[in-house]
Amino acid sequence: MDSFDRPNFSKNNVKLDENLSGWMRFRYKYLTLFAAKKFFWALFRYALLIGISYVILFPYYSKISTSLMSGEDFVDVTVKLVPKYPTLATYKMILNETSFLEATLNTGMVALFCGVVQMLACALVGYGFSKFNFKGKAILFLCVIITLVIPHKTMQSTMRFFFQDFRIWNISTGLNLLNPGSDSIFASHWPMALLSFGAIGYRNGLYIFMMRQFYKGVPDELEEAAYVDGAGTMRTFWKIIIPMSIPMLVTIFIFSFSWQWTDRFYTKMLYANSDYVFFNQILDEVQKTATATRWFDDYAQIANDYALAIQNAVGILILIPLVIIFLFGQKKLVQGIERTGVTG
Amino acid sequence: MKNRITVASLTCPAKRRKSKSLEKRRARMGYVFVLPFLLGFLFIYLPMIIESLKISFSEIDATVQPVQYNFVGFNNYVSAFIGEDVRFLQELGTNLLELLLDIPAIVIFSLFLAIILNQKMRGRGVFRAIFFIPVIVSTGIIEYIDIAANSMTESMGAVGTPEGDQAAAAGSEIISQIDVQRFFANMAVGQGLVEYVTDLVNNVYGIINRSGVQLLIFLAGLQSISPAIYESAYIEGASSWETFWKITFPMISPMILVNAIYTIIDAFTTESNNVMKYITEINETAGTTNLSLAMAMSWMYFIVILLIIGAVAGIISAYVFYQRRD
Repeated sequence: MDSFDRPNFSKNNVKLDENLSGWMRFRYKYLTLFAAKKFFWALFRYALLIGISYVILFPYYSKISTSLMSGEDFVDVTVKLVPKYPTLATYKMILNETSFLEATLNTGMVALFCGVVQMLACALVGYGFSKFNFKGKAILFLCVIITLVIPHKTMQSTMRFFFQDFRIWNISTGLNLLNPGSDSIFASHWPMALLSFGAIGYRNGLYIFMMRQFYKGVPDELEEAAYVDGAGTMRTFWKIIIPMSIPMLVTIFIFSFSWQWTDRFYTKMLYANSDYVFFNQILDEVQKTATATRWFDDYAQIANDYALAIQNAVGILILIPLVIIFLFGQKKLVQGIERTGVTG
Repeated sequence: MKNRITVASLTCPAKRRKSKSLEKRRARMGYVFVLPFLLGFLFIYLPMIIESLKISFSEIDATVQPVQYNFVGFNNYVSAFIGEDVRFLQELGTNLLELLLDIPAIVIFSLFLAIILNQKMRGRGVFRAIFFIPVIVSTGIIEYIDIAANSMTESMGAVGTPEGDQAAAAGSEIISQIDVQRFFANMAVGQGLVEYVTDLVNNVYGIINRSGVQLLIFLAGLQSISPAIYESAYIEGASSWETFWKITFPMISPMILVNAIYTIIDAFTTESNNVMKYITEINETAGTTNLSLAMAMSWMYFIVILLIIGAVAGIISAYVFYQRRD
């Protein structure tokens, strides 16, 4: 639904005399205060929006262009925004000589898993909070807010202790049920999975809140109709509520996926000393490889810049899949956001 | 008790009992739906925060297995305040001041943008897509690379920086600070205001980056205002300015509350926040005394955040207009 647009009297509603000359017609149509106001407002609006878009997009452009620069470009003072001797050597080095692809695969799997699980868990919980009345609902919702206010980052030590000690014993074999090889679930996928299943992962409080607001806007009659037709609560949820909340679910999936994709904290902490490689290790690895292969040697005086360019190249490589997903999901994202229908 | 039951059964026994059981069933289903969060909170989150609370009140002896906790009362909290390390209080103070200025700017900016992006115009979809990019992209690793790049640029300073850096810097310095200062000095407003504005202008990239989610929430709120209200206001002869203050603003005010709270939470808990950085720094330095200290600091920090949220929510919700729908 778009907001109400003012009827345009100057254009449509005033019938112009057929006998008027072209200039007079033009004058009556456009040289009015109303048209002028409209024109300047549009000008101001576009200037502002384009300016802000520039502020947002420029860093990405400068990242791309520095990542394509070769050593000569850094030495050459006339090169500013467009590389004179563009080269893909940096990218080749990252892709060929580091374990970037492996990290992409690992991160992708974890992010996909977290995205799907957190999306579903938060949808369930949000639905529970919006449509049902039960004892302790207010207190439980306060708990959701608390999980949002207390960032995991400040809790990292206790989180580490907790997952180091967390285990479920298999009674028949006496081994750790979740991670049979060792006596702790640390350095496996389990901590991430548990956080996601419990809807207490990164910013999941926000997702629960968004889902709750969305479901509050869904009229009760819809579910009542399903109940009258003989569907149970669960069936109604899966067959009616989930399909109609797809834009919202896509929104949450995109948030969750991309925040997990670019995550440094969880992968660094929960997968410490494990065999899995993630993006944050790649950053260090790239620097090491660059130094080891004497990448900077010819350009000692600009080594810092070159290091920056390499980091930017890693950043660009990390961003490309995200941008693709964003472009595909963008329409649904905007729709989902518009349908939050939030009021208090 | 007995009396009540007979009266109830006399009037409409069957209906009453049935409605009660339906209510109970609904409540039970409610628990089923929130079960993931309930379990996660009770068995993972709560133990974690209780553990951290325990650590913040004790001295840890890690030399013995299992680790010993010696209860020391508020010692850690006191030493966070008046210990030899005074950085915590300093960081907290400057941080609070900064956020006090940033938060209104972010809320107002995102409201303004949401109103503009809600109007019909060509290329609206493209602009919306561009404005949401920072929400998706500018987090975690990418943010980390940016911060690293900035500090690298700063540390090299004026010592013959090669041109590559200027490319990176050009985006963040759109207007030179001196120009803005001169402009405002001519208008003879107070020094404080000048500094505030120049800070905002220099920080515009950060503000745009941080107002993505708020923009989404405001857009959603604007979409939910019925066009019929605007239509009738227009017929009554209200100008755009009046329409904004009499209709849009009251109708969007619940969203302002939500956004103010979200902005506070977001500003206080991002990685680039100085207090957060400091706490993580302490957390990551080895040594168990550090751990207790960091925990005590985190808890004080949460209490400060909660107090601020409470105060802001209290102040704003006194002015929030709720449209009664039922």
